[in-house]
Amino acid sequence: MTALALRRDGPGTVKVPGPRRRLIGLVVALVALLVLLVLSVMIGSTAIAPSVVWDALFRPSADIDQFAIRDYRLPRTVAGLAVGAALGLSGALMQALTRNPLAEPGILGVNAGASFAVTVAVGLLGVRDIGDYMWFAFAGALVVTIMVLALGSTRQGQSPVAMVLAGICIGAVLGGAREALQLTNPEAFDAMRSWNAGSILGRPLEIVWPILPFFAVAIVLAFAVAGPLNAMALGDELAVAQGVRLARTRVLAVIALTLLAGGATAIAGPIAFVGLMVPHVARWIVGPHQRWIFAYSVLLGPILLLASDILGRVVMHPSEVPVGVVTAFVGAPVLIALARRKRASGL
Amino acid sequence: MTTTPRRRGSAAAAVLLSAALVLAACGSDGDAAGDKAGETHSVTADNGTIEVPVDPQRVVTIGNTTLPFIDMGGEPVGVTDVSASELGLIPEDQRTTFEAGTSLGASADQIDLEQLAGLEPDLILAQFPESEFEPLEKQLGSIAPTVFWGLGTEWKAFADGLAQAGNLTDGLGEQKAEFEDKITRIQETYGEIIDDTSFVNLDRWASSDPGTFSIADFGCVEIAQDDIGMDFPRAAEGEDPLGWTSLPFEQLAELSEYDVITYPVDAEGRPTEPFAPVVETNTWKALPAVGSGRALGVFCPGNNSYGPVLQYLDSLDAALATLPAKE
Repeated sequence: MTALALRRDGPGTVKVPGPRRRLIGLVVALVALLVLLVLSVMIGSTAIAPSVVWDALFRPSADIDQFAIRDYRLPRTVAGLAVGAALGLSGALMQALTRNPLAEPGILGVNAGASFAVTVAVGLLGVRDIGDYMWFAFAGALVVTIMVLALGSTRQGQSPVAMVLAGICIGAVLGGAREALQLTNPEAFDAMRSWNAGSILGRPLEIVWPILPFFAVAIVLAFAVAGPLNAMALGDELAVAQGVRLARTRVLAVIALTLLAGGATAIAGPIAFVGLMVPHVARWIVGPHQRWIFAYSVLLGPILLLASDILGRVVMHPSEVPVGVVTAFVGAPVLIALARRKRASGL
Repeated sequence: MTTTPRRRGSAAAAVLLSAALVLAACGSDGDAAGDKAGETHSVTADNGTIEVPVDPQRVVTIGNTTLPFIDMGGEPVGVTDVSASELGLIPEDQRTTFEAGTSLGASADQIDLEQLAGLEPDLILAQFPESEFEPLEKQLGSIAPTVFWGLGTEWKAFADGLAQAGNLTDGLGEQKAEFEDKITRIQETYGEIIDDTSFVNLDRWASSDPGTFSIADFGCVEIAQDDIGMDFPRAAEGEDPLGWTSLPFEQLAELSEYDVITYPVDAEGRPTEPFAPVVETNTWKALPAVGSGRALGVFCPGNNSYGPVLQYLDSLDAALATLPAKE
């Protein structure tokens, strides 16, 4: 069925695509992602012939240009794919959980926890290699999430508003402590400068592989709670009436989004806008169906991230612009445009 | 107004007396420190011409003046902090001298002025960004004569000024003579290599983004370029230094066009910690210069005073000696 279903939603009417159109959209997104994966391997700050790219992937040799493909472009493409998918999905989870269109993983304190832990690792423990301090980022994100869950719990269970407030408060405290540490340790400040910008450059596969199992678990968890989150969008009472266990759903959703956002931040540093913007685009395409929003977010996240990364590689040749800077530049106007589409991406 | 002969005579006597006093102040070498107490002379730096004691006894060094002042034999009573990595590169006796000075803060903009005044210095030597000096200038000047250089000062002029202000010209003279000798020796020994070889100098710092390196055209390599005459790439006139641009590792492949690559190593000859990721890449190992033994590790402990520069020249000399004949 290609006809659009109609949903009465307040004073306006929102057109919601039917399942077939959603599926077609998903295939189109998948094709776009595949094209970007190819472009990400083909395009870089040095000009390498397509035949060399082909040989690097399928007829490997010790040719110096082939190393550029296998050692740098391929790993950053994998990193872009994983980080983009994780940020997109974690944003969708966060917005569904809090029923807040401006929610993104950062407001649960995930980025602040990760940044603080990295500052401690770099500034106090002398850790310098990203492969080492990324685990501090991951641990920092997890610890802060547990604190947010604990502080955001009331007698009735987890309150989205209380969790967001707890996340913002902890984030502010950790942000201040991080800045104090950095000010007293200029070397730590220098070492963290690039990580804070958010980049997937220089992340070898050895850094990305260990995080992927966490992403896999989180994706399974996310799709498992998609149905209950749909019901919760109608209100807690109605969700309970439909048999949804609110506390379990919220805890599982928070675990999933923390694994996703914490893992992505550990690999790439804090990258803004992807987690905020992608779910809006997904909702604009598929309407308020969490399972579809999640599926689209998993594809649209890496599309945005890889496109931004490719742009960042060529726009300031011979240097590069970190992908976190590009997503901020691309994301802000797109988000404003989306926000002006009245109710199109409302929750 | 008219002047009587008597008045003219008094005026001439006063001028002669003043001139004699000024000459005595500027030219006196005095045998004992006590002879010079209270005597001053003029030193010109980026904050103008400053009257400073001829033989300062209580010198405070701020910012980049600390290690060069100690390198020339000075013993500051107060210092701003120096990074652990920089301290690790200086000789043990200089480290002891540094540690004997009272720490006044992490950097110039965080200096404890009350503590500084409490040291009762008779001279303050400072080098840090000019934008940070403006708000401090009056306060520092009210504590003691302050001689300031901005970060753009050429290192030899800086060393001259520092030695003149700190009364360390004897130590500087010896260092300068040694420097000239080493430059001449390298030019004579490796004249052919210097004339026929294209070099490129790479670097990477603790603050560099992961997966990036730089073609560095500042630091010790400027001495190899300007004093020895080696052919290294450098930024066009008026452009930012090449070293300010971070290049992704995939651009290492483009270094194949150079005959010889120089890169930073520590005192033991190992690649510096920030640079180590570069030499571990497959691209680095595949470079013709690396495969043919034409990648030279060179130790550069600093380029702001003669002591570390002499160490750099020794390291460069030793590295060039290992260079295989050109095929």
